[in-house]
Amino acid sequence: MKTVQMKNAIKKIASLLVAAVSMTSFALTALASEPYDSYIYDFWDDPVPAQAAYKVDNTYTGKNVGLERLRDPEDELFISVNTPTSFSGIKDIFFEETLEEFWIADTLNNRIVRLNKDMQLVGCYTGIDKSESGVLNFNAPNGVFVVVEDNGDVIMYIGDTNNSRILKCKATDALTCENLLEIGKPESAIYTSKSQTFLPEKILVDTAGNIYAVCTSLNAGSAQFNYLGEFQGFYGANRVEVTAEIIRKRIWRIFASDEQLKSMKSAAPTEYKNFDIDAEGFIYTCTEAANATMDAVKKLNAAGYNIWNNEAGNEYHFGDIISGSTYDAATNTNYSTRLTDIDIDENGFINILDYATGRVFVYDEFCSLVTIFGTKSNTSDQKGSFNGPNALESAYGNIYIVDGIKNDITVYSTTLYGSYLKQAVLLYDEGRYVDAEPYWQEVLDRNGTCSFAQLGLGKAALNRGEYKKAMEYFKDCYAQKSYDRAFKYYREQWLQDNFIIVFLAVVLLIVGIFVISLLMKRGIIKKRVKKVKKAPERKKTKKELEHEAELAAEKAAKEAEEKAALEAEENKEIEKEEE
Amino acid sequence: MYEFTPLGWLKHCVFHPIEGFEDLRWKKQGSMKIAMTIVVLFFIATVADRQLIGFAFNNAYTKVFNVVPLIVQSFVYFFTWVIANWSVCTLLDGEGRLKQICINSAYALVPYIVSLFVSVIISNFMVLDEAIWLNAVSLLGLGWSIVLMFQAMKAVHQYSFLKTFVCIVLTLVAMLLILFLLILLLSLFQQVYVFFYSLYTEISYRIRG
Repeated sequence: MKTVQMKNAIKKIASLLVAAVSMTSFALTALASEPYDSYIYDFWDDPVPAQAAYKVDNTYTGKNVGLERLRDPEDELFISVNTPTSFSGIKDIFFEETLEEFWIADTLNNRIVRLNKDMQLVGCYTGIDKSESGVLNFNAPNGVFVVVEDNGDVIMYIGDTNNSRILKCKATDALTCENLLEIGKPESAIYTSKSQTFLPEKILVDTAGNIYAVCTSLNAGSAQFNYLGEFQGFYGANRVEVTAEIIRKRIWRIFASDEQLKSMKSAAPTEYKNFDIDAEGFIYTCTEAANATMDAVKKLNAAGYNIWNNEAGNEYHFGDIISGSTYDAATNTNYSTRLTDIDIDENGFINILDYATGRVFVYDEFCSLVTIFGTKSNTSDQKGSFNGPNALESAYGNIYIVDGIKNDITVYSTTLYGSYLKQAVLLYDEGRYVDAEPYWQEVLDRNGTCSFAQLGLGKAALNRGEYKKAMEYFKDCYAQKSYDRAFKYYREQWLQDNFIIVFLAVVLLIVGIFVISLLMKRGIIKKRVKKVKKAPERKKTKKELEHEAELAAEKAAKEAEEKAALEAEENKEIEKEEE
Repeated sequence: MYEFTPLGWLKHCVFHPIEGFEDLRWKKQGSMKIAMTIVVLFFIATVADRQLIGFAFNNAYTKVFNVVPLIVQSFVYFFTWVIANWSVCTLLDGEGRLKQICINSAYALVPYIVSLFVSVIISNFMVLDEAIWLNAVSLLGLGWSIVLMFQAMKAVHQYSFLKTFVCIVLTLVAMLLILFLLILLLSLFQQVYVFFYSLYTEISYRIRG
């Protein structure tokens, strides 16, 4: 009995140990993985798992960045004792490269917060020093854009939404700014015919000092102002997507009476939500409307023309490849893609933020999908997941995402895999396929199904003249056109290498045919007699055989009868003669 | 007049679209075995066209191979065609019997099948720039087969040109009807099956409980 109890006790302890070990190891793996499911789309637009290219680096709340200093009377950044010490409804983030500072539109707190590159508070602006309209304080600023001029002046452009104005002001110190220009609602009929309100949200300034503003419920494009604040017109409107609904309306219009026509709404394009400008001065826009396919993301030139509006551009796809609403396990809801912000980083990568799922889609400059990361969760407790992702910004290879509901700033930094991937893509896009090869190899070592890596390695092999190898790589990533090119060279090479054999074979064939025909003419070789002109006799079935036998028997019987009759007649005749 | 082997008759029909099938009819020739072989080859050609065609030319979703659509595309379509044609033409004074329709239809398919095989083979040696040759081969095969099918139907039923055309259009309509009824029947049986299965589970729970 005792031994049995002992055994049981040992068993219990052992199982407890196993459980403990497995629990801890589970916890360890849970720590090591990212808060999101990393995936990418393959050739057939199927989502396939991929390595994580970005990992959560840190999360900054108002406390982390030192917003409490604004309340501390002894601090140089003191504003007042009841200034909020947390963010509220952040709508925009902007990174200024010269100062290496982040500017955040702390919208519901009506202020612009300025952070250094370590995400520590260095300034805060709640209003301007003087104003023609008399309104000094910001009211729900939705967007901020900063330019550092050559003389060192820090110029802020602020979309002061609820005050219906765009402000251009110079930051004189950490807390005050001097008003340079105040742009109110344009009086031009061009503007007022399109919109009754003027609620500038996102602001962008090009190198010539032109100011672009995305305004709430204005679908004619962004409002464009010159450096003096004069309204110039609208810039880069989206087109109307031709849907079944639009076609139906268009047909209905033909038959409708004037009164009916009056009550019908005209088809309006969806407005774009946000934009960014790249180093070359191209402006990229993104449209937040659910599952927008028409003009979801555009690359506009100075004239407002979408340079992706061509055959190649029509193939581009941004965001999740879904139709209608699709189930998302992370939030346990159905969602439609809503591209809320776009950012072009210093290397030309296009980062697009999806509000619905909190995912960031990273594309290279030719709009090939590089990686996807980020997620959303309804409970705001997971570090690195979002609840109301409003804007993103990139700097130092990191991506900064502001959340207007969790009220924090999340920093995603590249993993080792991600840095190899980005480096490889950059070299690949420059056409330096062979230089990119070691990086692609590193990528492929970490993610064997990465089709971009296979494409890159294939192109490198093609450049080096290893056509067979290139064909294998292209086959793996299903790059049909590239495979076709490699195959063309391979075929050419094969023909060159085996030219003598091929040539000899062809010559032999021709000579052979010639000789044989000659011999045939002379009659030395007999022409093959065409076999069986007649149908070969089928094997007769039993029935047929029986039938034939019967026929034969009948025939024989008939003949015998006839013979007998003849004989009888003869006999009769003989008898007659005898008589 | 003509004395051929069964295969010789096939060759005669394919290369003499105008009188071939008429001769076939008057000589009471045509082999069911060969016809069935052709249908099987048709199926194989459909599979080859999906699986073995040159990589650059293959637009199919090759991740998954599902044979059912290919069976439908070859066997089901062929036999539906035969049955639909027989049903329509029996009502329209056609002289063809089911077996003759089957044999003639199969013989008429030969150029198309051959073109499928040929394009599968040469697509493995060709690049996309030369795709026009592939298109030419398959279009030639298809056109030839259409002409043959028309002549075959004309001969087997002893129709005029116009009547053949009308009967082919009606046959296509009848094919749609047959396939529609088949699908309806299948879903019906599915529901019957589900009903009996739920009955069975219900009873088995009660017995156990």
